[in-house]
Amino acid sequence: MASSVIRTYDLWKQYEDEGHDGMALRGIDLDIKKGEIIALFGKSGSGKTTLLNLLAGLDQPTRGRVEIDSEDLGALGEKGRTLLRRHKLGFVFQFFNLLPTLTAAENVLLALELSGRTDERLAFESLALVGLAGKERRFPHELSGGEQQRVAIARAVVKKPPIILADEPTGNLDSVTGVQILDLLTSRCRDAGTTLIMVSHALNTCEYADRILRMSDGRIFEETLCEGLAP
Amino acid sequence: MNGVIRSFLRYLVRRKSLSVLQLLGIAFGVAAAVGMTLASRSALQSLGSAVDFLKGGTTHTIARPAGPMEEGLLTGLMDDPAVKYFAPVIDRKVRLEGNEQVRMLGVDPFLDKDVRTITAQIAASASKNARDEAFSSFLFDPEAVLVDENIAKELNLSPGSTFKTTQGSLRVVHVFPNPSGEPLIIIDIGHAQEFFRMRGYIDRADLVVTDEDAFRGRWGTGFTIESNTQRAQTLSALLGAFKLNLQALSLLALFVGVFLIYNTAMFAVVSRRRDAGILLAIGASRGQVTGAFLMEVLLLGVAGGALGGILGYLLSKFLVQIVGSSISTLYFFLKPSALPWSFWNLAGGMFLGCAASIVGCLAPLLELRRVQPVHVLRGRTATRGASRRMKIIALSGTFCIALALTLFGFSFLQVYVGFAGAFAFLLGASLFAGFVIILLVPVMKDLFSYGMGLAGRIAIGNIRENLGRTSVAVAAFMIALSMSIGLGSMIDSFRESLLWWMNSQLRGDLYISTKADVNVPEELYEELKKLPGIGGIDVFRNVPITFRGKPASITSIDASVLQRYDRFGWLEGSDASWEAVKEGGVIVSESFSRRFDVKAGSRITIETASGPAELSVGAVFYDYASEHGVIMMDRSTYLRLFHDRTINSLGIFIDEGTPGKATIIEEVKRRARDRGLPFSSREDFHKRILDIFDSTFAVTRSMRVLAVIVAFFGIAGALMTLFVERQKEFGIYRALGFTTADVARMTVAESLGLGLISFLMSIVVGTVFAFVLIKVINLQSFNWTIFYHFTARPYLVTALTALAASVAACAYPVWSVIRKYPVMQIREE
Repeated sequence: MASSVIRTYDLWKQYEDEGHDGMALRGIDLDIKKGEIIALFGKSGSGKTTLLNLLAGLDQPTRGRVEIDSEDLGALGEKGRTLLRRHKLGFVFQFFNLLPTLTAAENVLLALELSGRTDERLAFESLALVGLAGKERRFPHELSGGEQQRVAIARAVVKKPPIILADEPTGNLDSVTGVQILDLLTSRCRDAGTTLIMVSHALNTCEYADRILRMSDGRIFEETLCEGLAP
Repeated sequence: MNGVIRSFLRYLVRRKSLSVLQLLGIAFGVAAAVGMTLASRSALQSLGSAVDFLKGGTTHTIARPAGPMEEGLLTGLMDDPAVKYFAPVIDRKVRLEGNEQVRMLGVDPFLDKDVRTITAQIAASASKNARDEAFSSFLFDPEAVLVDENIAKELNLSPGSTFKTTQGSLRVVHVFPNPSGEPLIIIDIGHAQEFFRMRGYIDRADLVVTDEDAFRGRWGTGFTIESNTQRAQTLSALLGAFKLNLQALSLLALFVGVFLIYNTAMFAVVSRRRDAGILLAIGASRGQVTGAFLMEVLLLGVAGGALGGILGYLLSKFLVQIVGSSISTLYFFLKPSALPWSFWNLAGGMFLGCAASIVGCLAPLLELRRVQPVHVLRGRTATRGASRRMKIIALSGTFCIALALTLFGFSFLQVYVGFAGAFAFLLGASLFAGFVIILLVPVMKDLFSYGMGLAGRIAIGNIRENLGRTSVAVAAFMIALSMSIGLGSMIDSFRESLLWWMNSQLRGDLYISTKADVNVPEELYEELKKLPGIGGIDVFRNVPITFRGKPASITSIDASVLQRYDRFGWLEGSDASWEAVKEGGVIVSESFSRRFDVKAGSRITIETASGPAELSVGAVFYDYASEHGVIMMDRSTYLRLFHDRTINSLGIFIDEGTPGKATIIEEVKRRARDRGLPFSSREDFHKRILDIFDSTFAVTRSMRVLAVIVAFFGIAGALMTLFVERQKEFGIYRALGFTTADVARMTVAESLGLGLISFLMSIVVGTVFAFVLIKVINLQSFNWTIFYHFTARPYLVTALTALAASVAACAYPVWSVIRKYPVMQIREE
């Protein structure tokens, strides 16, 4: 049986400026195995992005614990969580979030630099794997939305992290491009045995997922079918 | 290069126009500080070389405490065992025909060559025949003079040329090199005595003394003996307040420059928040992110500083003329020349730019360090957060102002404390910018909507929505405009105070000669006293003295005449105090009173020709003649103490309603003219004083202009940043149907809105700053009271400046809108 790579214990998160009582997460317990692909659905404000941010160590829970590879994020400190993001996490955002002043290759290389491996060849290979061979020197504003998201995926996978968090990776793309991105992302993860958690509103995400989770009012529920999950 | 650093630095290249604006802003701020420092240093260096050039090998000078010295005393000096060499000197000013004043030294060539190298060199520089001829003329021709190469070049003179002065013609027999730069004429001392009508007297003797203590023991009473070190210190002390205020002005300009860097850095932080969030999310540390940002700011600071160093050097060439002119007008001759170019100008500018960058970007760095990736990556604007932050910042501003008030309270201890308070006040006021924007926006929305329609309304809304940027731009611009109002109000108030002072103390109908011109012969005074219709004649004499080791002056007047015709302003005492003056007491000026802590009723001891004399102080009067302080006494007292019958000028008073007043005045003028004496009516005399006053603030006016230029770059930078970062927003406007003209109007409205808010704030801050300058800075620096007078001019000038700068600042963004708007679309970056 695959080992757990992500575990949360009674996770709560309260924001002062959100919702009428500010409670974004209410006692989330999660156990995600290595190599699993998780699709996470929920309406806006249900707490999906909050959960991702807590898993990435970008935010601190009000109560509860997050363990990544059996390491308690709360005990790591800021420096430890930074190292975690460098070496063990890849991030794919809805709005791509590429650095506008770096080329496609430089955006990918940046992830390698931060993890201690400055190898331009790897960056170029990663871009080729996502279908962007020949466009390495282009800046983000010179790429289409789909191409930018491919760069973001290349950036996330190039350092071969055990976990990738994708926050609505197809949210800003047309349906055809969205399918291509989902194909790419999930196939790269399966090939590498990477655990992938995808927040999504697109029902077709279910087809790629091993498990389907639904969030509602800060709580998480296991689902078996995608029907009725679209917002 | 590290990817994190590269991602930040590339913005400098990508946003070239913005980078250039920011660079220029820093450069001008640094240029102001560098230029002023170089000009000030140049003046001090020139002073040093002038002193060195003239002192030659002398070690001491001896003179009477006031007035000229009897030449008969030279015998005693000759016989004194401690005196190795001595040389009598007459040191006066002569006014050339073109109205320029030049220093004239009367020397004994036989004695002077032993103490002063210039006279020895003059003799050596010519060929033997020419030397003999020149030397012979110098000794025997009363019009023969030596002129320095600077005057010779300026007036196109050569040996044999003649030139006119207000006291007669002079003939050049030799031109000598003068490295000090101070214009100088040398004449035989005997001829000088005739020229200046002081037969039997000299101004001082320059000495080479071998045993100072013994010499002082024998000559200490009734004389002022100064070593060269003391003399240099005295001259430097004369410039004390002036130098201090030059420094303060340059620091003010640099303060605006630092603010601009803060401005720039805050813009960058707001722009980079998203990038910082991305970097943190993918594993960069906060240290790496802030380090990259710091490098970006430092690069701008160093480059801007280097450019500022070069601009500052060029500026110093202009400023040095103004500084030299001010010093010459107010204190003593000085014609400094600009310092030669040095690598240190560049290095100094870069250091200053670097230091200013570090100071300016500290707060933004902390802001960047606190960026929460969660918030920025959420993609929502934090409007509510910005308002709360502005209120917190305004609270910090309140503490700053409280600190400023505390510092003002302790400014009596040291003038720098007052300066620190002024800076704290400006900083505190600037922290209110965001809060004021929040307060004013609702009203301005209606105003701009009325004037410019929907574009105006949206523009003001944009100012509010982009508070992080606009508040900083407003703060920087407001500081510069406040300085303009504050300095302008201070200068106008000073001018009004000066006018009041002149109308109270200088009420003569005619003034014959001045302290700066030739002395008035006593016979003329006696002659005019007998002229029918003359109400009274004030006999004016002013001499510099050293009091308790610091420079001051003594003025002798006719107390009865001033009591009758003048209306002195009294800080302590009243018109009744003149009785005490007539009986041998003194009155002192406010500056003297504050500097030396002397009040009415005190007793002071001054060195006289007969030794120390204790005098009773009857009153303290308001005075702007000298910031070093004046002791005023009746002429009878002065003659008793100093035996000096010299008259610098006469003030002629004629009662109102006297028949034939105009004829009497004409007669007085005729008699003065016959003796080659200049004269001026009260109006002309006042006008000349005001002209001097206006010219001495030329430096202040330059700094005002520079500060506004620096702040202009702040506004321009803010507008460019807003334009560059709102491409998506412009795409939405286009989709909604806004025309290019609409968006251009919006940009203009944003600029005018920023300018208006800055100006409205500056009205309050500038007025308070004016009070600070008048009641704290000026009082502590110059020890005199300036009375605040409201004048509309500084406010009108500043309003026009704000308008002009706002319009100019939006020119490039508007041009960019016109060029790029037609093709803008809604798209993500």
